[in-house]
Amino acid sequence: MRNSQVAIKINELNKYYGKLCALNNISFEVQRGEFFAFLGPNGAGKTTTINIITGLSNYLSGKVEIFGYDVTKDYLKTRRLVGLCAQEYNFDPFLTTHQLLVYQAGYFSVLPKEASKRADELLERFGLSDKRNVRHRALSGGMKKRLLLCRALIHDPEIIILDEPTAGCDLELKFRIWDYLTQLNKEGKTIFLTTHYMEEAERLCKTIGIINRGRIVRIGNKIDVLRDQSLESVFLEVTGPEKVY
Amino acid sequence: MMMITNTVGVIALSKREIRRFLVVASQTIFPPLVTSLLFMFIFGVAIGKRIDFSGMGLSYLGFIVPGLMTIHLISSSYENTSSSLFIARWHNHIQEVLLAPLSYFEIVLGLLAGGLARGLMVCSGVYLISLLFDVIPIMHPFILVYFAITISVIFSCAGMLGALWAEDFGMLNLWNVYFIVPLVMMGGVFHPMSMLPDIVQKISVFNPLFYLVNGIRYSVTGISDAPVLICAAISAFLSIAFFFFTVYLFKIGYKLRT
Repeated sequence: MRNSQVAIKINELNKYYGKLCALNNISFEVQRGEFFAFLGPNGAGKTTTINIITGLSNYLSGKVEIFGYDVTKDYLKTRRLVGLCAQEYNFDPFLTTHQLLVYQAGYFSVLPKEASKRADELLERFGLSDKRNVRHRALSGGMKKRLLLCRALIHDPEIIILDEPTAGCDLELKFRIWDYLTQLNKEGKTIFLTTHYMEEAERLCKTIGIINRGRIVRIGNKIDVLRDQSLESVFLEVTGPEKVY
Repeated sequence: MMMITNTVGVIALSKREIRRFLVVASQTIFPPLVTSLLFMFIFGVAIGKRIDFSGMGLSYLGFIVPGLMTIHLISSSYENTSSSLFIARWHNHIQEVLLAPLSYFEIVLGLLAGGLARGLMVCSGVYLISLLFDVIPIMHPFILVYFAITISVIFSCAGMLGALWAEDFGMLNLWNVYFIVPLVMMGGVFHPMSMLPDIVQKISVFNPLFYLVNGIRYSVTGISDAPVLICAAISAFLSIAFFFFTVYLFKIGYKLRT
């Protein structure tokens, strides 16, 4: 990993779906060790941005770097550095939770013995040890969410990207996930979080970016963004109809 | 990048692909073996005894066994990769692989391992079943390995192409049912070319699967309707072409990346 202090650098990024402009020349940086909230209404471009960072989407123009490595040219390096907790439950239906994590670790060059140990540790940490040998279909929604997190963390990535990680979780689970994410951030992991829960972003993140209709409409550290207002007020102010670009 | 840098990753993906068909062996391995057993009994033994193949120096059973080996090698290789990749697209767990530090070359290799393993397993199984009826010695075992691997590569890659192209389960088997199976059947699985009308014989030389069937038949029996070097060259060319075209589609993210 290059000794860059910038974990994610996006420069003049443009993305179209047919004629629809999904990302309109967006630029921003996420510093190493930052807890960054990326907010926006549905369809604003949050998941598209995440997909481009992780290599799941192509883009028209611009540059995206992870610790100084280009996500297109150096994709083998950037993918080792990122763990994605996706929005949807996209698990291989033929595998048990433990097998799923071991194979996923394997793709990231973790040897089977170490992979199995890590899988057991993560399942234990997220309270899924008793579900070690069942397939994901037998899990509840909250358990699947936790399994998504385990999968994102199995290769011990430097950057953890979370696409609405607590959507659909009960309060207790939400708090447990928050505690765990805070702990990971304290250990030096960079966290990139998208959420529709303003409270979550306000409580966890130090830096906030708001995207609306493919444009960054507000970005900065939490104090500067909020300016004595609640995040909800700021969010509605910058994404409301009167502010449409 | 056409080299393996993430060996552990390729092995993990290969193991997953092989495990996937082994856990449902009753659906993936045994049905073609049962079908072959029936074909051998009905066509090879019951009807075959009435067909005079003495001019070719082998029994009718000896003639159809390499054809059955080829047809099941092709269909097993195709079905394995097409179903695996299509289901991965359908459930979107293809993302597990796309997010990993695996080059597109390595991803195709990993998926290919499943098709290759299943194809070779079924092909060997068909031969072993033929031993229940008659011992057909393999004349050229190394040539057989060459043809079995190249043919399996061609159709494992074809399966991946089908899975990338298909939008639903109906489309997934179109190529197999309307294109591959008819061409294999017309390629001489159950009959020598000399049994067909002149016009069909002339058309058959344009059927690439005719050369693949005859490559396997030559390896097993030493008899072929086409020069074995041409069969080998066509098999090599198609396997390389299909493999690199598949890698190319993964690289551009055809129906994989938005």
